[in-house]
Amino acid sequence: MKLSSLPLRAIVASVLLATAAVAEHTSNWAVLVCTSRFWFNYRHLANVLSMYRTVKRLGIPDSQIILMLPDDMACNPRNAFPGTVYSNSDRAVDLYGDNIEVDYRGYEVTVENFIRLLTDRVGDETPRSKRLLTDDRSNIFVYMTGHGGNEFLKFQDAEEIGAFDLADAFEQMWEKKRYHEILFMIDTCQANTMYSRLYSPNIIATGSSELDESSYSHHADNDVGVAVIDRYTYYNLEFLEAHVQDLSSKKTIGELFDSYEFDKIHSTAGVHYDLFPGGEQAARSRLITDFFGNIQNVEVDRAKDLALEEELVQLSKTIAMLRKREAEEDAAYNNVSSIPASVPTAPPRKIQGAKALTEDDWWTKKVIGATALAGCALLWGVGSFLEA
Amino acid sequence: MPRLLSTALSLRRDPRLLRIPPYVSAFCIAIGVVWLLLLPLDDYSRRTYVSENALLPGQVHTYFGGSEQHIFRAFRHEVDLLADKNNYEVNDKLESILTGFGVKVGRQNYTYHSAGQKYTGENVYGILQAPRGDATEAIVLVAAWKSIDEQLNRNGIALVLTLARYFKRWSLWSKDIILLLPPDSTTGTQAWVDAYHDAHDSKHVSPLPLKSGALQGAIAIDYPHEQRYHELHIIYDGTNGQLPNLDLINSIVNIAGGQMGIETTVQQMTGHTDSYQDRLQTMLRGMLYQGLGYPTGPHSSFIPYHVDAITLQPTGEGWHDEMAMGRVVEGSFRSLNNLLEHLHQSFFFYLLMQKNRFVSIGTYLPSAMLLAANFTIMAIFLWVKSGQPTVKDVDSAKEKNDGMEHKGDAAQASWNPLAVERNLLSPLTFVAICHSISAIPLFVFNHLGLNTLPLAFLIFSVASTVLPAIFSFAAASLQKSTLQYFQLTKSFSLLILGVSLATLSTLNFSLAFLVGLLASPLTFIRPTNSVATRGIFAMLLIITSPPIVILTTAWTSGVTLTEVLKAASLGWNVWGMYTPIVIWCMWWPAWLVGMTNTLSPISKA
Repeated sequence: MKLSSLPLRAIVASVLLATAAVAEHTSNWAVLVCTSRFWFNYRHLANVLSMYRTVKRLGIPDSQIILMLPDDMACNPRNAFPGTVYSNSDRAVDLYGDNIEVDYRGYEVTVENFIRLLTDRVGDETPRSKRLLTDDRSNIFVYMTGHGGNEFLKFQDAEEIGAFDLADAFEQMWEKKRYHEILFMIDTCQANTMYSRLYSPNIIATGSSELDESSYSHHADNDVGVAVIDRYTYYNLEFLEAHVQDLSSKKTIGELFDSYEFDKIHSTAGVHYDLFPGGEQAARSRLITDFFGNIQNVEVDRAKDLALEEELVQLSKTIAMLRKREAEEDAAYNNVSSIPASVPTAPPRKIQGAKALTEDDWWTKKVIGATALAGCALLWGVGSFLEA
Repeated sequence: MPRLLSTALSLRRDPRLLRIPPYVSAFCIAIGVVWLLLLPLDDYSRRTYVSENALLPGQVHTYFGGSEQHIFRAFRHEVDLLADKNNYEVNDKLESILTGFGVKVGRQNYTYHSAGQKYTGENVYGILQAPRGDATEAIVLVAAWKSIDEQLNRNGIALVLTLARYFKRWSLWSKDIILLLPPDSTTGTQAWVDAYHDAHDSKHVSPLPLKSGALQGAIAIDYPHEQRYHELHIIYDGTNGQLPNLDLINSIVNIAGGQMGIETTVQQMTGHTDSYQDRLQTMLRGMLYQGLGYPTGPHSSFIPYHVDAITLQPTGEGWHDEMAMGRVVEGSFRSLNNLLEHLHQSFFFYLLMQKNRFVSIGTYLPSAMLLAANFTIMAIFLWVKSGQPTVKDVDSAKEKNDGMEHKGDAAQASWNPLAVERNLLSPLTFVAICHSISAIPLFVFNHLGLNTLPLAFLIFSVASTVLPAIFSFAAASLQKSTLQYFQLTKSFSLLILGVSLATLSTLNFSLAFLVGLLASPLTFIRPTNSVATRGIFAMLLIITSPPIVILTTAWTSGVTLTEVLKAASLGWNVWGMYTPIVIWCMWWPAWLVGMTNTLSPISKA
């Protein structure tokens, strides 16, 4: 009994998954934000550029990546390797390469611009490259890094975004149907406090460190003379490089989260999926490529196809049956000869025409008309008499 | 509450309350001194830390070394050839070397006059323009031809030339690097820094033909030391006791110690064991240098312009060579190069007691403030007291009251003593005279020639001792010297001293503390008719008189009086050192008033 029930369950599960796949996203977007400038914050820019490289590697096109960089490390005179940014002291990959599209740069990276971007409350003159043109079928990966504190993230030594601001922005996005699911990732001191105020559904959030904990840099490049990457980002990238080599990867978000270890990151990475439909189970089972990759379900699964066809046949049968019943009812009412049930026909059209006079009270109507005319003539006569 | 208030008010009139202030004053002095002695303890001092994020000290690999050593030797050879040449010939050669590696060179003449002597010379400097920088900021590398001890700065000059050639090859400078090679460690840098900020007197100092951006920091190399060295001595005292930002010292300690493994010391404390005694000694040496306000090296002239600067001086016998020194400078310059704005995060007011331990102004200031407060408390006390009748006055008043008035009024008079009218004119005049004649020593010592200076000082010392006797005789013959007159003169004089010292302690803590301590006997001397007491007071005051203190200090530190006077005059004329004003115009007049009071007998009322 048990043995026979197993394949049955598998079938049920596959059917369920298939229906879930119907509700999946149709586009992938990434919002990558570095909030600090100045040479000694080199690592924050390197963090973001590493993420940029990763999402591009997994197929999200530049048109769907919003990259915010407040400073230009590649052209900083202090850079011993002009025109490059590296996130590892082996300097194997130049993150600044020759194909970088920075959408918000320098002093354009502000809290206001960030929130306007998320909520799409932008002016008419805003170019498409600076807009997040998502809909309710878009999965968004939001990555932020900089200097933060308890429930805030500093933007460029000038202002900060609060956890409530961020939560409200996400809620507005949800109300405007601007996302399907969001993966929010943040690497800063006390990062986990930044997502503590979220109250919108369909968001998976993760941060590098909890309240009163600092986030640390991973290592410094002694020729560049600064730290080049943060620990949390470094180990995220390590996982992504090792296990998510292309879009066929079946690694889940849960597996990525499980790879976070205090010994490596030196701070307590946090995860959050309170308001995710299906809770922890569903959130953890999401594929990493759902957020980091540009998934477009072109190749359709066979089992899913069959089910769909069956459903369609079923549906058309039901429709046919309903039409037949309707036709029968009509026939019974109008006492008209039946129409073949199998042929769907258009329902008889009713056109509103001019209504013909019936014979019933012909004389009465004529008398009323004559009286009205006589009355009018009488009125004219009296009027002209009085005038004279 | 009202009862409490009335009790407090009646307490105010309690005669016992008037006995307290002298003890409060003594207590203030004691606490002030003990406070200072507590500072070296772990509980009161703190470990240093780099607070400027941008500095990132010791995070870069330094590559100075290898074949650069040959170049260094070649330059040292060049320097040796120039050893006997005059300033202009030396500068001709240095200019040709600097232009040789594509550095723009400027020269500047200056002439200073002080104590009848002429200090003249020509600075040569080069500006290494940052290849990718915007020329709005610059850092300075200084090596004076003559070291602080007037020796040929052989290795220092060669090292700066080698470093200049080496720095020229890097493209990562965000600030211009200025290479300054003045002929001596004292006047040359002052002329250059003044001219750089257009604050020079164009009669003596010529303007600079070539300038760069705002100076962000300066490091001077004082390296006549010939053997391999053991440690780096960091000299940081600026003119008038101003100090560079603590972050600069921290960075150098960090780079030299953490990265290169070179020991660092401050205040010539070789072999610092981090014991209480060593910490205290370091701190007191620092206070002495700060109190003198005299420039301690080529870096000192930069500090009044808010350019953080230090001098590095290799000392001791060890195994570190010139290349290690070069790497320390390279590392420090890479750190300074990282700066985005002026050093401002860390402390400007501190006392170092070890290379990595310090107290900040908030912790040490109360000790000097307490010393200053002791004078003010005494001044207020004397003012109150001068308005009250003496015991005899009260007695006679009581007799009068008994005769003329009702008993109720008499009872009232017993707790509300009669006020006595204060005669202000003569005390004020006397204090004003004392302060105005203080302009004489200030003028004399800063304008006389070197050959007459020691004689003038000795004459002044004698005159300063005799003057109070003359004053007291004159005062006695002009008017009846009542107790109130002495109380008022002392009150005014101490009031001025207290206020000036409290102000000074925020500018130059050490000077305020030292002067406050030496002037503290002034609080307690009072006119007396007992010859023995008067003699003791007079002796005490003579020992702590400014001229005697200067003579004793010169004698104990093994410096001739001529040297001290020459340095003081040079400090005043070249660096704008204000220590002479504090000594002659604040301390000496107060002493003069105190001494006059001591010598005067009180006339019977």
